[in-house]
Amino acid sequence: MATMTYLQAISSALRDELRADERVFVMGEDIGVFGGAFKVTDGLFEEFGPDRIMDTPLAESAIVGTAIGAAVVGMRPVCEMQFSDFISCGFDQLVNVAAKMHYRQGLAVPITVRLPSGGGFSGGPFHSQNPEAWFMHSPGIKVLAPSTAEDAKGLLHSAIRDPNPVCFMEHKHLYRRIKGEVPEGIYETPMTARIARPGSDLVVIAYGAMVHVALEATEDVDGASIEVLDLRSLVPLDVEAILDSVARCSKVVVVDEANSTCAAGAQVTALIAERAFEDLDGPVVRVATPDIPIPFSPPLEQAVLPSVERVREACRELLAY
Amino acid sequence: MPQMGVSVAEGTIVSWAKQIGDRVQADETICEISTDKIDTEVPAPVTGIVAAILVEVDTTVDVGAVLARIAPAHPQDDAPVSGATGGSGSRAPTPAFAAPAGPPAPPAPPATAGPPATAGPPAPAVPTPPATPTPEDAPDSGAPHANGVPARRYSPVVQRIAAEHGIDLGSVPGTGRGGRVRKQDVLAFVEAPPEAPMHIESPYRPDPAPAAGSGQLSRMRRQIGAHMKRSLETAAHCTTWIEVDMTRVQAARARLGVTALSYVAGAVIAALREHPQLNATLEGERYTQHSDINLGIAVSLGEDGLIVPVIQRAHELSVEGLASRIRDIAGRARSRQLTPDEVRGGTFTITNPGQYGSIMATPIINQPQVAILDLEAIVKRPVVVTDGDGNDSIAIRSMTILGLSWDHRALDGALSAQFLGSVKRGLENV
Amino acid sequence: MATETAEPAVGPAAHLELQDRTYLLRAMLLMRGIEERAMSLYRQGKVPGSFYDGFGQEAVSAGPAFAMAPEDRLCILHRDLAAHLIRGVTPVRILAQYMGRNAGITRGRDGNVHFGDHRLGCVGMVSMLPDMMLVATGMAMAFKLRGERRCALTWFGDGSTSRGDFHEAMNWAGVQRLPVIFVLENNQYAYSTPLEKQFAVDPVERAAAYGFVGVTVDGNDVEAMFEATRAARERAIAGRGPTLLEAVTMRMHGHAAHDDMKYVPKEQVELWRKRDPIDRQDNRLRELGVDVDTLRAEVHAEIDAATEHALASPMPDPDDVTTDVFAVGEADPLGDGHAPWSGFSRATVS
Repeated sequence: MATMTYLQAISSALRDELRADERVFVMGEDIGVFGGAFKVTDGLFEEFGPDRIMDTPLAESAIVGTAIGAAVVGMRPVCEMQFSDFISCGFDQLVNVAAKMHYRQGLAVPITVRLPSGGGFSGGPFHSQNPEAWFMHSPGIKVLAPSTAEDAKGLLHSAIRDPNPVCFMEHKHLYRRIKGEVPEGIYETPMTARIARPGSDLVVIAYGAMVHVALEATEDVDGASIEVLDLRSLVPLDVEAILDSVARCSKVVVVDEANSTCAAGAQVTALIAERAFEDLDGPVVRVATPDIPIPFSPPLEQAVLPSVERVREACRELLAY
Repeated sequence: MPQMGVSVAEGTIVSWAKQIGDRVQADETICEISTDKIDTEVPAPVTGIVAAILVEVDTTVDVGAVLARIAPAHPQDDAPVSGATGGSGSRAPTPAFAAPAGPPAPPAPPATAGPPATAGPPAPAVPTPPATPTPEDAPDSGAPHANGVPARRYSPVVQRIAAEHGIDLGSVPGTGRGGRVRKQDVLAFVEAPPEAPMHIESPYRPDPAPAAGSGQLSRMRRQIGAHMKRSLETAAHCTTWIEVDMTRVQAARARLGVTALSYVAGAVIAALREHPQLNATLEGERYTQHSDINLGIAVSLGEDGLIVPVIQRAHELSVEGLASRIRDIAGRARSRQLTPDEVRGGTFTITNPGQYGSIMATPIINQPQVAILDLEAIVKRPVVVTDGDGNDSIAIRSMTILGLSWDHRALDGALSAQFLGSVKRGLENV
Repeated sequence: MATETAEPAVGPAAHLELQDRTYLLRAMLLMRGIEERAMSLYRQGKVPGSFYDGFGQEAVSAGPAFAMAPEDRLCILHRDLAAHLIRGVTPVRILAQYMGRNAGITRGRDGNVHFGDHRLGCVGMVSMLPDMMLVATGMAMAFKLRGERRCALTWFGDGSTSRGDFHEAMNWAGVQRLPVIFVLENNQYAYSTPLEKQFAVDPVERAAAYGFVGVTVDGNDVEAMFEATRAARERAIAGRGPTLLEAVTMRMHGHAAHDDMKYVPKEQVELWRKRDPIDRQDNRLRELGVDVDTLRAEVHAEIDAATEHALASPMPDPDDVTTDVFAVGEADPLGDGHAPWSGFSRATVS
């Protein structure tokens, strides 16, 4: 075991895969000599060279599109979007070409698209988004969103080794703030949910950075026993784990950093309404970012992103219900 | 007027659900009556057209009195008798089922009024629970029960757990917002149901604090009063007390998750087996011993009064069976769902006011029975106990006082004391 | 870099044996025959959805596909049926595909010409047409990364040149000097939009701007199309980068079955009818003494049999409709396709 930051864990997964599988290569904007906008690929260029740590033209559609081409002839490309927001420019390739390929003609498209996402640092409307729901609504794409260093590495291994297009939502705000023990070598984390903290009075369902918000918010809410369920994978969604938590806790707060409408949490909420109605002891409560672009100025941004206080208050209200 | 219990002599019309000319189906409610045992709806005995209403609302008549006449209906008589018909077979909207005149009900409010909870700090974090019906809603919402008690709403999980454990949610205290019953409340109730608040109102009890609205006594109060007064005037009341060590019962009931009352009921049944003279009724000079033990349990309806549902053939039940039946009938008593059969035929009654801490009472016999047992508070006391070798010591024991009011016309003090002794032995050797 | 007009130095048939030239006619006849049959099935209500064909453009797909080796990879568009036939897709599977039957290449999951048999080295198109330019570029990128002598080829239309993916693919392929061939199928109209509303510069001129060769070819001459593609492939596998081939042709039917083409002047259609690619190849072969009538009869019989077979094949089972959204297990890459050009067998022998 080694202690790594979330960012180092991602970097470590890339390095291990590049060493283990010659089909793997990494492509993106400014990832080579410069080491990436967030330095995730720092040092990889020196070890693996320009063919495998490939600096691309500034063209997101081309990054995804050529990755698809390379994948269907046997490569395992890992694409980096400099910011997850920029995937909008590669959206068509991802949702129309990659996502539908296997269903239409049985051709697997093993690509991983890393999407540095999330806000909290005045990135403004184009560097702070959480676009995971866009892909959840595009059948054929898997969507992962780790919250810990261990899962960041293990899920990235799982993503690269998966025969499908995988959107790997890595949260920028966790890159250097989160540290943890990470097992040695290559290990694949299953695409299932994880109980971050067990509890029995209420469950907070979250993923990515919101897991940490949820844990902090529920450390002590009037002594209640509060579970935190870290989804880790949004597609596939761990339906059994969600239903199991709901059955035990009966009160549910669902937290999304993404905009509220049709977010991952909305899907979780719908699932609970459909499948766990008999287990509920109160309304499912959602805490999410309102349906506005993420504003730039710190007081504005802090006002809209789900905070520890908002989550705690939501739990307190629901516990009292 | 139907006979709603062996001792019921009269009943009062509370309301008519059908008017003259209305069509009524067999088994459809035609009117509501009140007797001193139960308030109930009266189902129409046949299908037809209400031809005459013979007893007006608030009028009390003897059992057996004719309340209304229903004319047999033929297919061609579908239209109301009194209405203008559109001809044979044409069915006009039946006035009987028309909604009361008034403004149409407003549409239901949208599920999420106001900004959604997720829309940021200004919005409340938790959607407000379903609002209680506004006055505008009230005529059509059906939210209040017929008796005026607002309907409680329960979450799906609470309803499911209650159904699984046969719990009447009306008896579960709620600790949620606005007294809402939460999952933990019903689970706690399953674990250890509180002592059911069951007792017979006694003239000797301190008067309850006057409620907000003073004035004319309710029908039920008047009926209870008359019934109690008649009992005091009829029976030769005498009360005998005995002290019982309930320590074993307390331990056993915690193990089984049942109430002490269930054990007392069990011990009473065993004692009645031993002394069947007390399982009896006395009407005038006619004394009848009963082979079945139909055990009445007094249930408080709060300010409304009380009712004594009866566990038929209680001698066939175990302590757990008694506990579950007591829960069931008490729950349905409070939600006014008892059937007439469940309040009649009692042969012995237990009342249980001990939950409020009182230690002694002189209960009034539930006529025409010959005795009533009173269970009071179970309190820990220093008690002299003697061990197997005859050594005495002082121990802390859970003690209670059982009071038996009995009718000196039917039996004597020795028998009542022996009966109480049997009950005591039963409880101390659980 | 300069654009050029393909002028084979040693005549149009320098690299084609008689059997190759006959094969090209056969492929075009099959394409036209299948599409005519499918249109008739469409009008009988047996083909659901819409129907698109490549009537008049048969040479644009037959020639380039014929120049591709088994290990090359193709992204084939909707007016390029001859490419599928040359790679080895049978007429019965194509007709079943049109009719949404289980025997179709996509088992009823996608319609009409939206298919590619991955076992034959082809990636099915999507409706956002120039998307496939990037996929082909990516395949070529993988070949280059791995040091393989292979190339990728894709078709796209004049309308596609207006989209960003056209630019991104051309730019990327130029930057990395990739072994990829872009066949611009200039058929005069993007749906109803004529060329003058699509671009201000002939798009073949743009190749130079991306740093590689642009070639304009007579898109109605199948042998010219073959030869230009063969040369482009030579460049590609020799590491000399991509080629943009502009095949000038004419879409002789509407955009789809419902389109009556009122927006096209009659004289334009008449002019192009005289340049019909099948008639031209037919005449060539007759002059060389080939029994074209027998060939036509064989093709006709083959299509009749395939139609009968396809009509008798079952529809897909709705119970399976939710399966295979995701791949499970190890991903199988594209397989090799048929490559009937005699030049490949000669190369193998030598």
